[in-house]
Amino acid sequence: MIEVTGLSHAYGDGTEALRDVNVVFPRGTISAVLGESGSGKTTLLMALGRFLRVPHGRISYDETDLNDVPEAELRRKIGVVFQKLYLFPHLTVLENLALAMVHAQGRPRKEAEAAALDMLERLGIRATAESYPVRLSGGQAQRAAIARGLLLRPDYMLLDEPTSALDANTTDEFAAWLGELRSDTNFIIVTHDVLFARKVAEMGVYLSGGTVAARGPIEEIIRNVRAGRVVGEPAS
Amino acid sequence: MSLQAGWPLRPGAALALAAVFALAAAARPAAAAEPEAGTGPAAGAEADQAPLTVALTGKYPPFSFYDENGELAGFDVDVSRAVAGRLGRRLEIVATEWDGILAGLLSGKYDAIIGSMAITPERARQVDFSEPYYVSGAQLFVRRSDRGDLDGIAACAGRPVGVGLGETYEHYLRREHPEVEAVTYKSTVDIFQDMENDRLSGFITDKLVGAWQVKSAGRDFVPAGKLLFEERIGIPVRKDRPELLAGINAALADMQASGERDRLFEKWFGLARRRPTGMSAATVVRLLLRGFGITIGVAVASLAIGFVLAIPLGMVLNRGRGAGCRAVRAFVDFVRGTPVLIQLLFVYFGAPQVGVTLSPIASAVLTLSVSAAAYMSEIVRSGLMSVDHGQELAARALGLSGRQTFRLVVWPQAFRVAMPPLINAVVALTKDTALISVISVGEVVREAQSIISVTFQPIQYYLIVAGMFFVFTFPLMKLAGRVEARMKERGFVHD
Repeated sequence: MIEVTGLSHAYGDGTEALRDVNVVFPRGTISAVLGESGSGKTTLLMALGRFLRVPHGRISYDETDLNDVPEAELRRKIGVVFQKLYLFPHLTVLENLALAMVHAQGRPRKEAEAAALDMLERLGIRATAESYPVRLSGGQAQRAAIARGLLLRPDYMLLDEPTSALDANTTDEFAAWLGELRSDTNFIIVTHDVLFARKVAEMGVYLSGGTVAARGPIEEIIRNVRAGRVVGEPAS
Repeated sequence: MSLQAGWPLRPGAALALAAVFALAAAARPAAAAEPEAGTGPAAGAEADQAPLTVALTGKYPPFSFYDENGELAGFDVDVSRAVAGRLGRRLEIVATEWDGILAGLLSGKYDAIIGSMAITPERARQVDFSEPYYVSGAQLFVRRSDRGDLDGIAACAGRPVGVGLGETYEHYLRREHPEVEAVTYKSTVDIFQDMENDRLSGFITDKLVGAWQVKSAGRDFVPAGKLLFEERIGIPVRKDRPELLAGINAALADMQASGERDRLFEKWFGLARRRPTGMSAATVVRLLLRGFGITIGVAVASLAIGFVLAIPLGMVLNRGRGAGCRAVRAFVDFVRGTPVLIQLLFVYFGAPQVGVTLSPIASAVLTLSVSAAAYMSEIVRSGLMSVDHGQELAARALGLSGRQTFRLVVWPQAFRVAMPPLINAVVALTKDTALISVISVGEVVREAQSIISVTFQPIQYYLIVAGMFFVFTFPLMKLAGRVEARMKERGFVHD
């Protein structure tokens, strides 16, 4: 379980990105972090991935303060796929997938590549194994990036705006196979796309102006959003 | 013996050897600068002495030049042998440029200059001269067709007259005949070429040398007027070497008394003197290939060292702030903002002043490595900058360590982006090696100049040298283009 308590963060220029955020991401569910752009979603994701030091508040991972988790362990437990994916352009898809398995986790290259090919097969992009990322479509690149993270078998997996590069059809397709992968890891999906969140997530939190405007089952949040009860609500 | 002969580099072996040489030479004690225990004739019988190192240009026939077999020969070379023999010391000849020949003596790169240096008060303030070993004089030469009009220096008022740069003739002309337009040249070959090109009305050179050269080159130039002045030619040594000076004077006196000096003079200038020499094709090819081997060896060694240095420097530059970055920035700007030629001369002549005597090759490799490092660090920096910061984030998110992230993710991308400009820098720096001839490295340009000094065919040989460089650089330039095209294909976008 990941538990966020009293989290606040301001950027160097004084902009407040998060204020007193409290939220829990339990195991066994797909969670969504919703909100308009500028609501603090990505800041929260960066904090959860410890790419950002937050002076106020606490994030705990299975009761341990996130700051006390050793780097290697943290990276093994929490995977991140950024909005821009950041596939490595100088490596083929297969090499992209195998790189961290071999170098960060010390698995034999043969075994790593076999696992990578299995994963590509599962995601239906086996044919791209020898391609360079520049050749991939948006949907293929999205899958490759998620595959690269999943192969490290993280406990939690953070996805930042995973649908931003996808059209409506591929978004539906993506939602479908994300459901198939839910037994592998616990997804936390940061997205502005409420419809997408409704298709894949059960629980959610809605950020507005850096504060939590709503939390709970996803349907409930969406009802509130539709009713205008949370949108644009001034920070209290 | 000579620099060139002392480096048995063949083109193939040169690559590997140049690097080794640079290191070995850097560590070598400055043999030339070691004070001798006693250099008088009395000490001459002792074996195992430091060799007598003597400088000359090797481009001043018939006093010093490379003969048909590419061996140093000439009156000065014979005198050097005779003097060393009388001192009981092994002879080591350093072929060096006239420009810096005195500076080299002062910085202890060799013991003496036996290179037809005229004794002048200016020079005598810096060095001690031996008694003169021959006497010659300054003579004006003109085209035979102009002989009627230009019958002496007075007739040359307002006309361009060629003289050797830094030679006594230049100073004489500026002092005694300011009405004559003095044009300075680095070698007689260039003067002859400009006589042919009608850029000069005449030239002043040594009476003996001039007559010999005119005949060798088959030009129709004739002496005009009387000797402008007489010159006494001596052997300079450093002022703190009185025993050496005494030894040389004793040797010269003995050569005079025994008649050897006159025999040598007759050999080179007598009526029965040998036909002026040319150079066999085989020798030309051998000299040029050996020179090019050294050129490539120096280039490869410098580029390799420079590149290895450029990576950390580029990383520091890429940081963009901090004292380290400012220091590296200042270094890079300074090196890039100053001529490599000046840097070369500074290292070659300056290093001995702080107690580090580097061989010419070591000086060249050191200077060019620093220059390469400066240029390449800038390229490495822009390569690193072109890599999206997100690549690093993604790599860290996958659990790669900081070092792995750099080695496996950031550097390979930066290197690919930097590749085309790096290759272009390699081309530019390879061409810069042409400059190292000024510090007497026997690379291809210097070898060509030696050949030209006896064949008098500058255009032909400079073309050949240009061709040799081009054969080396052209494939590199093609490669740069191809790598760049492939980079675009792979989608290495730099925004």
